Amino acid sequence: MATEAFKHGLGESYKRKEDARFIRGQGNYVDDVQLKGMLYGDIVRSPYAHALIKSIDISAAMQVPGVLAVITGKDLDAAGLAWMPTLSGDTEAVLALDRVHFQMQEVAFVVATSRYAAADGVAAVEVEYEPLQVVVDPKKALAPDAPLLRPDKKDKQPTNQIYHWETGDRAGTDADFAEAEANGVVVKQDMYIPRIHPAPIETCGCVADFNKTTGKLTVWMTSQAPHVIRTLFAIVAGLPEHRIRIISPDVGGGFGNKVPIYPGYVCAVVASLTTGKPVKWIEDRSENIASTGFARDYHIHAEIAADKDGTVKALKVYTLADHGAFNAAAQPTKFPAGLFHICTGSYDFKHAFVEVDAVHTNKAPGGIAYRCSFRVTEASYLIERMMDTLAHDLGKDQAQLRLQNFIKPEAFPYRSALDWTFDSGNYEGALKLAMKNVDYEGLRREQAEKRARGELMGIGISSFTEIVGAGPGKHFDIAGIEMFDSCEIRVHPTGKILARIGVQTQGQGHETTFAQIIAAELGMSPDDVDVEHGDTDTAPYGLGTYASRSTPVAGAATAMAARKVRDKAKKIAAYLLEVGEDDLEWEPGRFFVKGAPAKGKTIQELAFAAYTNCPPYLEPGLEAVNYYDPPNLTYPFGSYICVVDIDKGTGQVHVRRFMAVDDCGTIINPMVVEGQIHGGLTQGLAPALYEEIMFDEDGNILNGNFQDYLIPTAMETPHWETDRTITPSPHHPIGAKGVGESPTVGAPQAIVNAVVDALAHLGVRHIDIPITPWKVWNILKEKGLTAD
Amino acid sequence: MEFSGTQTIAASVEKVWAFLLDVNKVASCAPGFQSLEELGEEHWKAVVGVGLGAVKAKFTLDVTRPEMQEPERMVVKGRGKAPGSAVELSGDMQLSAVDNEQTRMDWEAKVVVSGTIASVGARLLQGVAEKLTDQFFDCLKTKLQAADATVTAE
Repeated sequence: MATEAFKHGLGESYKRKEDARFIRGQGNYVDDVQLKGMLYGDIVRSPYAHALIKSIDISAAMQVPGVLAVITGKDLDAAGLAWMPTLSGDTEAVLALDRVHFQMQEVAFVVATSRYAAADGVAAVEVEYEPLQVVVDPKKALAPDAPLLRPDKKDKQPTNQIYHWETGDRAGTDADFAEAEANGVVVKQDMYIPRIHPAPIETCGCVADFNKTTGKLTVWMTSQAPHVIRTLFAIVAGLPEHRIRIISPDVGGGFGNKVPIYPGYVCAVVASLTTGKPVKWIEDRSENIASTGFARDYHIHAEIAADKDGTVKALKVYTLADHGAFNAAAQPTKFPAGLFHICTGSYDFKHAFVEVDAVHTNKAPGGIAYRCSFRVTEASYLIERMMDTLAHDLGKDQAQLRLQNFIKPEAFPYRSALDWTFDSGNYEGALKLAMKNVDYEGLRREQAEKRARGELMGIGISSFTEIVGAGPGKHFDIAGIEMFDSCEIRVHPTGKILARIGVQTQGQGHETTFAQIIAAELGMSPDDVDVEHGDTDTAPYGLGTYASRSTPVAGAATAMAARKVRDKAKKIAAYLLEVGEDDLEWEPGRFFVKGAPAKGKTIQELAFAAYTNCPPYLEPGLEAVNYYDPPNLTYPFGSYICVVDIDKGTGQVHVRRFMAVDDCGTIINPMVVEGQIHGGLTQGLAPALYEEIMFDEDGNILNGNFQDYLIPTAMETPHWETDRTITPSPHHPIGAKGVGESPTVGAPQAIVNAVVDALAHLGVRHIDIPITPWKVWNILKEKGLTAD
Repeated sequence: MEFSGTQTIAASVEKVWAFLLDVNKVASCAPGFQSLEELGEEHWKAVVGVGLGAVKAKFTLDVTRPEMQEPERMVVKGRGKAPGSAVELSGDMQLSAVDNEQTRMDWEAKVVVSGTIASVGARLLQGVAEKLTDQFFDCLKTKLQAADATVTAE
């Protein structure tokens, strides 16, 4: 007899709780925060990509009506705040002191009584620069005659090379390659994954409010990791941590862009500390694209050694990573190239060896995980491109080559060549389902017919494997803080629940799915569970939402906290029913006496008893907290098939079909998962066809606005078809793996593989993204194929 | 960006040189010219407004003439800034007589633009620069030829 009220547990498409306010325009974003006497900040930025600052004259700016203060690097230096630590152990200028390292770098912060006055003040600040030689090409940054771009750390780092990192078995890999050179096949390919930007629709910003009477600093900030920000503010600015409150209100998209601390935040806090008034700082679009954390920018050379029949043996990868002016990549300390280790993908390689060199250039700092777990997109792109290149060179079908080389379902848990333990997977199951859904054989026949008629059609596959859900805490950290996560559950006397979580939503639907996890564990309706997050004064400590870690880590903490609540409820039930705990059985929402199902107590009755008739040997109340440190990462996967047609007149790529089969383990809310997949696929389409931050040789960013930096709208987005397999994670309490980032990781290479497949018979082996009509048209022109 | 071109002006080399030597006359032909202030010998501060698509900027330029060989060669350099943008210009003009009444001017210009103007207006820069150059020479020719006409009328 399940409780009637128990609906919408796991696997139910329960409508999103947060949408009630979003669709009514009642969301509360940081720019909606209005405080009495609030001041406004705006930033003076460098027009040069590399220059010395000779002087800064603020006198004219101070004459602008409404301007109250102009903060420069020298002012911050006097307070010891001119430099701040990055997430990768570098130091970054908050406001430049004597040198600017990239165009749009922060030089001064103007504080005024209105946003307009602040902008007028910015225009009136006179900065005299002496331009220096600019380095935009990472290869040139490594040349012996390249200027040293970071003289401030020349003692620690005498060249522009930030680090060399390598992993894997060099000798074993070399032996496999020697063998393949003699008796098998070796394929090699260079590819560039350009610098792109997460471009959240809501740009970065904050409102800093220091109360001089109480000594408390409250900062509303559009952040993905409010607790970490609080701790860093305490450490860097020397403020007592209990007097710092970070509130991350509704966030209009994060995608990794809102993990770091940016100079504007620090300046707004300093301005509020100085004036004792609230100070708002909100970026404009160009500032967001040109100065905050970019993603990718990996120059990759990859090689596969295989047998003549296509059985893969070894993978070798060399990457040159452009980190820009400061090393501000968002990576756990032990992993400077993130989880690039996942580049062996879904395939059973015996050996692998991977190297990454990171360098400074005169471009904005970053290297954040844009809707992907630390460098997983780069890794997945290269292996899926390489598998297609191998198929191309051997004349084999791309699907067959993948099926031949997949890690087999019975091999899990699987130890990869780069020494990671994949928790669970059924790669051939996902690919075969995708092939069946699109009638793969039929598509190949259609392609052959079209090719005979001179039409260009391509089919691309991506059978990706992800690695998400960091920790374990002993291996993963952000600025030294271990990557666990948390949940606190309070059951009120009438059985309604307030839950608070250490992670924070930017649109993923935490308020819904986390309520469903608790509802499923306690057998009640998610209507009766409210989920709060994003306020460091109330939420338990957590590491934030990024790298698909919310469900794998905080979701596990939530299930475990709910189980603690249930365990205590069981003790109360035993007391009320006058039986031993061993004599009780659980059905959703209710404990009853074994063999006497009519004799039982609902979770609501037990909650009431916890406050009104608690056993004398228990503490009253019904609450639980769990801090969860995962034993392993989770490894979601999927197989995508993309069908493209190419217009010979314009070179335009038309995505005709896109079938996405995802496996994220146990599904909490299929509707939310599908929404995540639609959004993620669109953000996977974007770099494949549209996005790239471009620079000229002087370091000018050439497309720092939405007129020139193309993100797909509903007009460009094709119809997405989705399906799923379910292979639960064996170590997660409810078997869930995380899904938000899979489609962004998996989609670009499916599209590129389809375009290359459409042109393969012409001898085309690779095209770098973004695949613009201009690139395709030039290839067609070269092959004499452009329509007249 | 580098540009170059040749203009034939219906005036003698001496007249063209005299015109170019007079910074106030040259400035009055500069598109978007707003003001000119002498800072020292062969050193001026000029304020010029430029529009590139949706972006309008007022540049304050530091102008010098590092090379002059009367009456055939003049090099002008300018370095300036506008909020969020910076520009460096250099122009090299060579004059030669076609005949007593006509002068040939071969010119080269180099322009380096940084900041917002370069970012937002990148695709428009070349076209705008060419248009501004045309406007300058049209003005220069009109004024020189008008001056000639005035002289003749007297």
